[in-house]
Amino acid sequence: MSNDLFIVIAYLVVSGGSRIRGIFRRWQQPGLRGREWFFNVHVLPDFYTGEGRKILRGYRMRMLMPVAIEVIIAAAIFISGHLQNLVWLIAGIAVFIHVNHVFNVDAAERKARAFAVAEAEEPVPSVVLSLKSRRLRDYSNPKLELAIAMVTVGVFAWLLRYYLASTEQHNFRIVFAVPLFLLYAQLGHLFAKQIIVAWRMPVPQADAEEHLTAREERRKFYLRVCDISRLWNVAMLLFWPVLLSISTNNVAFFAGVWFGSLILVSIALSIWQEIRRKQVLALALRTRPAKLPDLLGDTPVPNWPVCYQPSAPMLVLKGARGYSLNLANTLAQMGAAYLAGLGVLMVVLFRTAH
Amino acid sequence: MYLTIDTRDARPIYQQVVDGIKEVIARGELKEGTSLPPVRQLAADLGVNLNTIATAYRELQKDGLIVVKHGSGSVVASRTAAERDEGDLLRPLRTALTQLVLAGLPSNKILEIVARELLMVTKGK
Repeated sequence: MSNDLFIVIAYLVVSGGSRIRGIFRRWQQPGLRGREWFFNVHVLPDFYTGEGRKILRGYRMRMLMPVAIEVIIAAAIFISGHLQNLVWLIAGIAVFIHVNHVFNVDAAERKARAFAVAEAEEPVPSVVLSLKSRRLRDYSNPKLELAIAMVTVGVFAWLLRYYLASTEQHNFRIVFAVPLFLLYAQLGHLFAKQIIVAWRMPVPQADAEEHLTAREERRKFYLRVCDISRLWNVAMLLFWPVLLSISTNNVAFFAGVWFGSLILVSIALSIWQEIRRKQVLALALRTRPAKLPDLLGDTPVPNWPVCYQPSAPMLVLKGARGYSLNLANTLAQMGAAYLAGLGVLMVVLFRTAH
Repeated sequence: MYLTIDTRDARPIYQQVVDGIKEVIARGELKEGTSLPPVRQLAADLGVNLNTIATAYRELQKDGLIVVKHGSGSVVASRTAAERDEGDLLRPLRTALTQLVLAGLPSNKILEIVARELLMVTKGK
Protein backbone atom coordinates (compact mmCIF):
# COMPACT_ATOMS: atom_id res chain seq x y z
CA MET A 1 0.00 0.00 0.00
CA SER A 2 1.42 3.44 -0.90
CA ASN A 3 1.87 6.12 1.74
CA ASP A 4 -0.68 8.40 0.07
CA LEU A 5 -3.31 5.68 -0.06
CA PHE A 6 -2.65 4.90 3.58
CA ILE A 7 -3.10 8.59 4.55
CA VAL A 8 -6.38 8.78 2.62
CA ILE A 9 -7.71 5.61 4.29
CA ALA A 10 -6.58 6.79 7.76
CA TYR A 11 -8.27 10.16 7.19
CA LEU A 12 -11.53 8.56 6.01
CA VAL A 13 -11.59 6.11 8.96
CA VAL A 14 -10.64 8.56 11.74
CA SER A 15 -12.32 11.70 10.47
CA GLY A 16 -15.32 9.96 8.90
CA GLY A 17 -15.91 7.90 12.06
CA SER A 18 -15.86 10.88 14.36
CA ARG A 19 -18.02 12.97 12.01
CA ILE A 20 -20.72 10.30 11.77
CA ARG A 21 -20.74 9.99 15.56
CA GLY A 22 -20.94 13.78 15.94
CA ILE A 23 -23.71 14.15 13.37
CA PHE A 24 -25.77 11.41 15.01
CA ARG A 25 -25.32 12.99 18.45
CA ARG A 26 -26.12 16.55 17.39
CA TRP A 27 -29.07 15.39 15.28
CA GLN A 28 -30.74 13.97 18.39
CA GLN A 29 -29.65 16.69 20.78
CA PRO A 30 -32.69 19.05 20.54
CA GLY A 31 -35.11 16.39 21.79
CA LEU A 32 -32.97 14.62 24.38
CA ARG A 33 -35.17 15.80 27.24
CA GLY A 34 -38.36 14.63 25.53
CA ARG A 35 -41.07 16.16 23.36
CA GLU A 36 -41.74 18.96 25.86
CA TRP A 37 -38.26 20.34 25.38
CA PHE A 38 -36.24 21.83 22.56
CA PHE A 39 -32.68 21.78 23.92
CA ASN A 40 -33.13 23.64 27.22
CA VAL A 41 -36.31 25.48 26.23
CA HIS A 42 -39.54 24.17 27.73
CA VAL A 43 -41.82 24.37 24.68
CA LEU A 44 -45.58 24.23 24.18
CA PRO A 45 -47.08 20.75 23.44
CA ASP A 46 -47.71 21.40 19.71
CA PHE A 47 -44.20 22.78 19.10
CA TYR A 48 -42.86 19.89 17.03
CA THR A 49 -45.94 19.73 14.82
CA GLY A 50 -46.05 23.48 14.19
CA GLU A 51 -43.32 26.12 13.88
CA GLY A 52 -40.90 23.92 15.80
CA ARG A 53 -40.52 21.59 12.83
CA LYS A 54 -39.14 24.49 10.76
CA ILE A 55 -36.78 25.55 13.55
CA LEU A 56 -35.57 21.98 13.96
CA ARG A 57 -34.96 21.63 10.22
CA GLY A 58 -33.03 24.92 10.16
CA TYR A 59 -30.88 23.74 13.08
CA ARG A 60 -30.08 20.45 11.33
CA MET A 61 -29.22 22.15 8.04
CA ARG A 62 -26.81 24.55 9.77
CA MET A 63 -25.38 21.59 11.71
CA LEU A 64 -24.43 19.84 8.44
CA MET A 65 -22.72 22.94 7.00
CA PRO A 66 -19.17 22.21 8.35
CA VAL A 67 -19.37 18.62 7.04
CA ALA A 68 -20.35 19.85 3.58
CA ILE A 69 -17.43 22.31 3.62
CA GLU A 70 -15.05 19.57 4.79
CA VAL A 71 -16.14 17.22 1.99
CA ILE A 72 -15.48 19.92 -0.66
CA ILE A 73 -12.04 20.87 0.75
CA ALA A 74 -11.03 17.23 1.30
CA ALA A 75 -11.99 16.42 -2.29
CA ALA A 76 -9.88 19.37 -3.51
CA ILE A 77 -6.92 18.15 -1.42
CA PHE A 78 -7.24 14.59 -2.76
CA ILE A 79 -7.42 15.83 -6.37
CA SER A 80 -4.47 18.24 -5.96
CA GLY A 81 -2.41 15.58 -4.17
CA HIS A 82 -1.32 17.95 -1.34
CA LEU A 83 -2.22 15.40 1.32
CA GLN A 84 -0.12 17.10 4.01
CA ASN A 85 -2.85 19.78 4.13
CA LEU A 86 -5.30 17.22 5.56
CA VAL A 87 -3.83 17.91 9.02
CA TRP A 88 -4.86 21.58 8.78
CA LEU A 89 -8.26 20.60 7.45
CA ILE A 90 -8.86 18.22 10.38
CA ALA A 91 -7.74 20.83 12.95
CA GLY A 92 -9.67 23.69 11.32
CA ILE A 93 -12.89 21.76 10.86
CA ALA A 94 -12.79 20.42 14.44
CA VAL A 95 -12.75 24.01 15.74
CA PHE A 96 -15.34 25.15 13.18
CA ILE A 97 -17.75 22.32 14.08
CA HIS A 98 -17.72 23.29 17.76
CA VAL A 99 -18.03 27.05 17.21
CA ASN A 100 -20.78 26.49 14.64
CA HIS A 101 -22.62 24.21 17.07
CA VAL A 102 -22.53 26.75 19.92
CA PHE A 103 -23.95 29.53 17.70
CA ASN A 104 -26.38 27.14 16.01
CA VAL A 105 -27.86 25.94 19.31
CA ASP A 106 -28.13 29.52 20.57
CA ALA A 107 -29.89 30.66 17.37
CA ALA A 108 -32.31 27.71 17.47
CA GLU A 109 -33.09 28.26 21.16
CA ARG A 110 -33.73 31.97 20.57
CA LYS A 111 -36.26 31.11 17.87
CA ALA A 112 -37.87 28.43 20.04
CA ARG A 113 -38.32 30.81 22.96
CA ALA A 114 -41.23 32.40 21.07
CA PHE A 115 -43.05 29.08 21.56
CA ALA A 116 -41.92 28.40 25.13
CA VAL A 117 -44.07 27.78 28.19
CA ALA A 118 -44.33 31.29 29.68
CA GLU A 119 -43.54 30.46 33.32
CA ALA A 120 -40.51 28.36 32.33
CA GLU A 121 -38.98 31.46 30.78
CA GLU A 122 -38.91 33.28 34.11
CA PRO A 123 -35.38 33.37 35.53
CA VAL A 124 -34.85 31.57 38.84
CA PRO A 125 -34.81 34.07 41.71
CA SER A 126 -31.74 32.79 43.52
CA VAL A 127 -28.46 31.20 42.50
CA VAL A 128 -25.48 29.77 44.32
CA LEU A 129 -21.82 29.70 43.43
CA SER A 130 -19.52 27.09 44.87
CA LEU A 131 -16.44 28.71 46.42
CA LYS A 132 -14.64 25.38 46.79
CA SER A 133 -11.13 25.85 45.47
CA ARG A 134 -10.13 23.71 42.48
CA ARG A 135 -6.59 23.20 41.27
CA LEU A 136 -5.36 21.52 38.12
CA ARG A 137 -3.21 19.18 40.18
CA ASP A 138 -6.31 17.85 41.98
CA TYR A 139 -7.56 16.58 38.62
CA SER A 140 -4.22 15.22 37.39
CA ASN A 141 -2.82 11.72 37.58
CA PRO A 142 0.79 12.06 38.86
CA LYS A 143 1.92 8.83 37.14
CA LEU A 144 0.51 9.94 33.80
CA GLU A 145 2.04 13.41 34.15
CA LEU A 146 5.42 11.90 35.04
CA ALA A 147 5.28 9.51 32.07
CA ILE A 148 4.37 12.34 29.65
CA ALA A 149 7.14 14.57 31.05
CA MET A 150 9.75 11.79 30.86
CA VAL A 151 8.88 10.84 27.28
CA THR A 152 8.92 14.50 26.21
CA VAL A 153 12.27 15.25 27.85
CA GLY A 154 13.71 11.95 26.57
CA VAL A 155 12.61 12.60 22.98
CA PHE A 156 14.01 16.13 22.92
CA ALA A 157 17.29 15.00 24.49
CA TRP A 158 17.61 12.31 21.80
CA LEU A 159 16.73 14.76 18.99
CA LEU A 160 19.27 17.30 20.25
CA ARG A 161 21.98 14.65 20.37
CA TYR A 162 20.99 13.44 16.91
CA TYR A 163 21.04 16.97 15.46
CA LEU A 164 24.33 17.96 17.09
CA ALA A 165 26.01 14.75 15.92
CA SER A 166 26.01 16.10 12.37
CA THR A 167 24.66 19.62 12.02
CA GLU A 168 25.75 19.75 8.35
CA GLN A 169 23.71 16.71 7.36
CA HIS A 170 20.65 17.17 9.59
CA ASN A 171 18.15 19.84 8.72
CA PHE A 172 16.88 21.67 11.83
CA ARG A 173 13.33 21.81 10.51
CA ILE A 174 13.15 18.12 9.70
CA VAL A 175 14.49 17.19 13.14
CA PHE A 176 12.62 19.70 15.31
CA ALA A 177 9.64 21.25 13.48
CA VAL A 178 7.10 18.50 14.15
CA PRO A 179 8.25 17.78 17.75
CA LEU A 180 8.16 21.50 18.60
CA PHE A 181 4.69 21.76 17.14
CA LEU A 182 3.60 18.73 19.18
CA LEU A 183 5.16 20.20 22.31
CA TYR A 184 3.25 23.43 21.74
CA ALA A 185 0.06 21.42 21.22
CA GLN A 186 0.78 19.63 24.52
CA LEU A 187 0.95 23.04 26.24
CA GLY A 188 -2.34 23.93 24.53
CA HIS A 189 -3.95 20.84 26.03
CA LEU A 190 -2.72 21.82 29.48
CA PHE A 191 -4.15 25.28 28.94
CA ALA A 192 -7.49 23.76 27.90
CA LYS A 193 -7.42 21.64 31.08
CA GLN A 194 -6.78 24.77 33.14
CA ILE A 195 -9.83 26.46 31.57
CA ILE A 196 -12.00 23.40 32.26
CA VAL A 197 -10.87 23.28 35.90
CA ALA A 198 -11.25 27.02 36.46
CA TRP A 199 -14.63 27.34 34.70
CA ARG A 200 -17.29 28.22 37.27
CA MET A 201 -20.86 29.38 36.94
CA PRO A 202 -23.72 29.90 39.38
CA VAL A 203 -26.44 27.25 39.52
CA PRO A 204 -30.09 27.52 40.61
CA GLN A 205 -30.29 27.33 44.37
CA ALA A 206 -33.34 25.05 44.24
CA ASP A 207 -31.40 22.02 42.92
CA ALA A 208 -27.85 23.16 43.44
CA GLU A 209 -26.48 19.75 44.46
CA GLU A 210 -27.80 18.00 41.32
CA HIS A 211 -26.40 20.70 39.05
CA LEU A 212 -23.02 20.74 40.78
CA THR A 213 -22.71 16.94 40.70
CA ALA A 214 -23.55 16.86 36.98
CA ARG A 215 -21.01 19.62 36.30
CA GLU A 216 -18.30 17.87 38.29
CA GLU A 217 -18.83 14.66 36.30
CA ARG A 218 -18.79 16.60 33.04
CA ARG A 219 -15.62 18.39 34.14
CA LYS A 220 -13.89 15.07 34.89
CA PHE A 221 -15.03 13.65 31.55
CA TYR A 222 -13.65 16.53 29.49
CA LEU A 223 -10.39 16.46 31.45
CA ARG A 224 -10.08 12.75 30.65
CA VAL A 225 -10.73 13.47 26.97
CA CYS A 226 -7.92 16.07 27.12
CA ASP A 227 -5.60 13.49 28.69
CA ILE A 228 -6.40 10.97 25.94
CA SER A 229 -5.57 13.61 23.37
CA ARG A 230 -2.30 14.34 25.20
CA LEU A 231 -1.40 10.65 25.09
CA TRP A 232 -2.02 10.68 21.33
CA ASN A 233 0.27 13.67 21.13
CA VAL A 234 3.01 11.87 23.10
CA ALA A 235 2.67 8.79 20.87
CA MET A 236 3.23 11.01 17.83
CA LEU A 237 6.21 12.66 19.53
CA LEU A 238 7.74 9.28 20.36
CA PHE A 239 7.33 8.25 16.75
CA TRP A 240 9.64 11.02 15.52
CA PRO A 241 13.03 9.73 16.80
CA VAL A 242 12.05 6.24 15.69
CA LEU A 243 11.28 7.58 12.22
CA LEU A 244 14.62 9.41 12.04
CA SER A 245 16.65 6.43 13.17
CA ILE A 246 15.28 3.70 10.86
CA SER A 247 16.37 3.17 7.28
CA THR A 248 14.32 4.77 4.47
CA ASN A 249 13.25 1.33 3.17
CA ASN A 250 11.50 0.50 6.43
CA VAL A 251 9.74 3.84 6.93
CA ALA A 252 6.53 2.90 5.10
CA PHE A 253 6.20 -0.42 6.92
CA PHE A 254 6.98 1.09 10.29
CA ALA A 255 4.65 4.06 9.80
CA GLY A 256 1.90 1.64 8.78
CA VAL A 257 2.32 -0.45 11.94
CA TRP A 258 2.60 2.63 14.18
CA PHE A 259 -0.39 4.51 12.82
CA GLY A 260 -2.42 1.34 12.41
CA SER A 261 -1.91 0.62 16.11
CA LEU A 262 -2.79 4.20 17.01
CA ILE A 263 -6.00 4.02 14.99
CA LEU A 264 -7.00 0.77 16.72
CA VAL A 265 -6.28 2.27 20.15
CA SER A 266 -8.22 5.41 19.14
CA ILE A 267 -11.24 3.32 18.14
CA ALA A 268 -11.13 1.52 21.50
CA LEU A 269 -10.82 4.83 23.38
CA SER A 270 -13.63 6.35 21.31
CA ILE A 271 -15.90 3.50 22.40
CA TRP A 272 -14.96 4.14 26.04
CA GLN A 273 -15.50 7.86 25.51
CA GLU A 274 -18.96 7.27 24.03
CA ILE A 275 -20.02 5.04 26.93
CA ARG A 276 -18.74 7.55 29.49
CA ARG A 277 -20.31 10.46 27.61
CA LYS A 278 -23.70 8.75 27.79
CA GLN A 279 -23.32 8.29 31.56
CA VAL A 280 -22.43 11.97 31.98
CA LEU A 281 -25.34 12.94 29.75
CA ALA A 282 -27.76 10.82 31.78
CA LEU A 283 -26.67 12.69 34.89
CA ALA A 284 -27.04 16.07 33.15
CA LEU A 285 -30.54 15.18 31.94
CA ARG A 286 -31.65 14.65 35.53
CA THR A 287 -31.14 18.35 36.21
CA ARG A 288 -33.91 20.67 35.15
CA PRO A 289 -32.72 23.52 32.92
CA ALA A 290 -33.29 26.93 34.42
CA LYS A 291 -32.84 30.43 33.17
CA LEU A 292 -30.38 32.30 35.37
CA PRO A 293 -31.06 35.90 36.39
CA ASP A 294 -29.08 38.68 34.76
CA LEU A 295 -26.84 40.03 37.51
CA LEU A 296 -24.82 42.32 35.27
CA GLY A 297 -27.14 45.29 35.47
CA ASP A 298 -26.52 48.01 32.93
CA THR A 299 -23.51 46.47 31.20
CA PRO A 300 -23.88 46.96 27.42
CA VAL A 301 -24.67 43.89 25.33
CA PRO A 302 -21.84 43.13 22.86
CA ASN A 303 -22.77 43.09 19.18
CA TRP A 304 -19.76 41.16 17.85
CA PRO A 305 -18.43 37.64 18.43
CA VAL A 306 -15.38 39.25 20.10
CA CYS A 307 -15.54 42.16 22.55
CA TYR A 308 -13.52 43.95 25.25
CA GLN A 309 -15.48 44.64 28.44
CA PRO A 310 -13.27 45.02 31.53
CA SER A 311 -16.24 45.84 33.75
CA ALA A 312 -17.80 42.43 33.00
CA PRO A 313 -14.76 40.12 33.11
CA MET A 314 -16.50 36.87 32.02
CA LEU A 315 -14.77 34.76 29.37
CA VAL A 316 -17.94 34.62 27.29
CA LEU A 317 -20.73 37.19 27.35
CA LYS A 318 -24.22 36.80 25.99
CA GLY A 319 -24.23 38.94 22.89
CA ALA A 320 -26.88 40.38 20.63
CA ARG A 321 -26.19 37.59 18.10
CA GLY A 322 -25.23 34.61 20.24
CA TYR A 323 -22.07 34.71 22.30
CA SER A 324 -19.16 37.09 22.47
CA LEU A 325 -15.62 36.23 23.55
CA ASN A 326 -14.50 38.86 26.06
CA LEU A 327 -10.86 39.79 25.54
CA ALA A 328 -10.81 41.54 28.93
CA ASN A 329 -10.86 38.09 30.54
CA THR A 330 -7.47 36.68 31.61
CA LEU A 331 -8.13 33.26 30.06
CA ALA A 332 -9.17 34.89 26.76
CA GLN A 333 -5.96 36.92 26.82
CA MET A 334 -3.90 33.79 27.48
CA GLY A 335 -5.75 32.00 24.67
CA ALA A 336 -5.04 34.88 22.29
CA ALA A 337 -1.37 34.84 23.35
CA TYR A 338 -1.29 31.08 22.75
CA LEU A 339 -2.66 31.46 19.22
CA ALA A 340 -0.24 34.33 18.50
CA GLY A 341 2.59 32.12 19.80
CA LEU A 342 1.43 29.35 17.47
CA GLY A 343 1.61 31.76 14.54
CA VAL A 344 5.12 32.89 15.53
CA LEU A 345 6.23 29.27 15.95
CA MET A 346 4.96 28.36 12.49
CA VAL A 347 6.69 31.38 10.91
CA VAL A 348 9.97 30.61 12.73
CA LEU A 349 9.90 26.96 11.66
CA PHE A 350 8.97 27.95 8.11
CA ARG A 351 11.76 30.55 7.84
CA THR A 352 14.30 28.08 9.20
CA ALA A 353 13.49 25.81 6.30
CA HIS A 354 14.79 28.34 3.78
CA MET B 1 -19.08 26.40 50.67
CA TYR B 2 -21.59 28.40 48.67
CA LEU B 3 -22.24 32.04 47.95
CA THR B 4 -25.95 32.74 47.44
CA ILE B 5 -27.39 35.60 45.43
CA ASP B 6 -31.12 36.16 45.63
CA THR B 7 -32.75 38.65 43.27
CA ARG B 8 -35.76 38.93 45.64
CA ASP B 9 -33.48 40.06 48.45
CA ALA B 10 -33.68 43.79 49.18
CA ARG B 11 -29.93 43.95 49.85
CA PRO B 12 -27.75 44.97 46.91
CA ILE B 13 -25.65 42.22 45.33
CA TYR B 14 -22.37 43.48 46.81
CA GLN B 15 -23.92 43.30 50.32
CA GLN B 16 -25.12 39.74 49.65
CA VAL B 17 -21.55 38.85 48.63
CA VAL B 18 -20.18 40.48 51.81
CA ASP B 19 -22.67 38.65 54.02
CA GLY B 20 -22.15 35.37 52.15
CA ILE B 21 -18.37 35.49 52.61
CA LYS B 22 -18.81 36.48 56.26
CA GLU B 23 -21.02 33.42 56.80
CA VAL B 24 -18.48 31.13 55.14
CA ILE B 25 -15.70 32.56 57.35
CA ALA B 26 -17.89 32.27 60.47
CA ARG B 27 -18.56 28.60 59.72
CA GLY B 28 -14.82 28.01 59.49
CA GLU B 29 -15.02 26.92 55.86
CA LEU B 30 -12.65 29.70 54.91
CA LYS B 31 -9.88 29.53 57.47
CA GLU B 32 -7.42 32.19 58.49
CA GLY B 33 -4.82 32.74 55.80
CA THR B 34 -6.92 31.12 53.06
CA SER B 35 -6.85 33.00 49.77
CA LEU B 36 -10.08 34.40 48.42
CA PRO B 37 -10.67 34.27 44.67
CA PRO B 38 -9.31 37.41 42.98
CA VAL B 39 -11.89 40.18 42.41
CA ARG B 40 -11.81 39.71 38.64
CA GLN B 41 -12.26 35.94 38.89
CA LEU B 42 -15.12 36.05 41.39
CA ALA B 43 -16.90 38.68 39.27
CA ALA B 44 -16.47 36.49 36.18
CA ASP B 45 -17.61 33.32 37.99
CA LEU B 46 -20.67 34.95 39.51
CA GLY B 47 -21.54 36.91 36.36
CA VAL B 48 -21.57 40.30 38.04
CA ASN B 49 -19.90 43.63 37.42
CA LEU B 50 -16.27 43.95 38.52
CA ASN B 51 -17.13 46.92 40.76
CA THR B 52 -19.71 44.84 42.67
CA ILE B 53 -17.02 42.45 43.91
CA ALA B 54 -14.45 45.21 44.36
CA THR B 55 -16.92 47.04 46.66
CA ALA B 56 -17.67 43.81 48.54
CA TYR B 57 -13.95 43.12 49.13
CA ARG B 58 -13.44 46.72 50.31
CA GLU B 59 -16.25 46.24 52.83
CA LEU B 60 -14.72 43.00 54.07
CA GLN B 61 -11.34 44.68 54.35
CA LYS B 62 -12.88 47.58 56.26
CA ASP B 63 -14.46 45.09 58.68
CA GLY B 64 -11.03 43.53 59.19
CA LEU B 65 -12.14 40.14 57.85
CA ILE B 66 -9.78 40.03 54.90
CA VAL B 67 -6.33 41.42 54.27
CA VAL B 68 -5.34 42.56 50.81
CA LYS B 69 -1.74 41.60 50.11
CA HIS B 70 -0.08 43.07 47.05
CA GLY B 71 0.84 40.34 44.63
CA SER B 72 -0.93 37.50 46.43
CA GLY B 73 -4.52 38.79 46.48
CA SER B 74 -6.88 38.77 49.43
CA VAL B 75 -6.61 36.36 52.34
CA VAL B 76 -8.84 35.73 55.33
CA ALA B 77 -7.52 37.78 58.27
CA SER B 78 -6.79 36.32 61.67
CA ARG B 79 -9.53 36.74 64.26
CA THR B 80 -7.21 38.77 66.47
CA ALA B 81 -6.61 41.15 63.62
CA ALA B 82 -10.33 41.48 63.21
CA GLU B 83 -10.82 42.34 66.89
CA ARG B 84 -13.28 45.14 67.31
CA ASP B 85 -14.71 47.18 70.09
CA GLU B 86 -17.22 45.09 72.05
CA GLY B 87 -19.75 47.92 71.92
CA ASP B 88 -19.55 47.85 68.11
CA LEU B 89 -20.16 44.12 68.08
CA LEU B 90 -23.05 44.18 70.52
CA ARG B 91 -24.96 47.04 68.92
CA PRO B 92 -26.46 45.05 65.99
CA LEU B 93 -27.30 42.18 68.35
CA ARG B 94 -29.12 44.56 70.66
CA THR B 95 -31.03 46.05 67.72
CA ALA B 96 -32.07 42.58 66.55
CA LEU B 97 -33.12 41.50 70.06
CA THR B 98 -35.14 44.71 70.43
CA GLN B 99 -36.97 43.89 67.19
CA LEU B 100 -37.80 40.41 68.48
CA VAL B 101 -39.03 41.74 71.86
CA LEU B 102 -41.12 44.37 70.10
CA ALA B 103 -42.57 41.64 67.89
CA GLY B 104 -44.01 40.19 71.10
CA LEU B 105 -41.89 37.07 71.34
CA PRO B 106 -41.31 35.65 74.84
CA SER B 107 -37.72 35.48 76.16
CA ASN B 108 -37.46 31.68 75.93
CA LYS B 109 -38.60 31.77 72.30
CA ILE B 110 -36.02 34.49 71.55
CA LEU B 111 -33.30 32.39 73.20
CA GLU B 112 -34.37 29.40 71.10
CA ILE B 113 -34.18 31.50 67.91
CA VAL B 114 -30.77 32.89 68.89
CA ALA B 115 -29.42 29.40 69.62
CA ARG B 116 -30.76 28.07 66.31
CA GLU B 117 -29.33 30.98 64.33
CA LEU B 118 -25.98 30.66 66.10
CA LEU B 119 -25.87 27.00 65.09
CA MET B 120 -26.75 28.04 61.54
CA VAL B 121 -23.97 30.61 61.45
CA THR B 122 -21.26 28.41 62.94
CA LYS B 123 -22.21 24.98 61.58
CA GLY B 124 -24.40 25.82 58.63
CA LYS B 125 -27.34 23.70 59.83
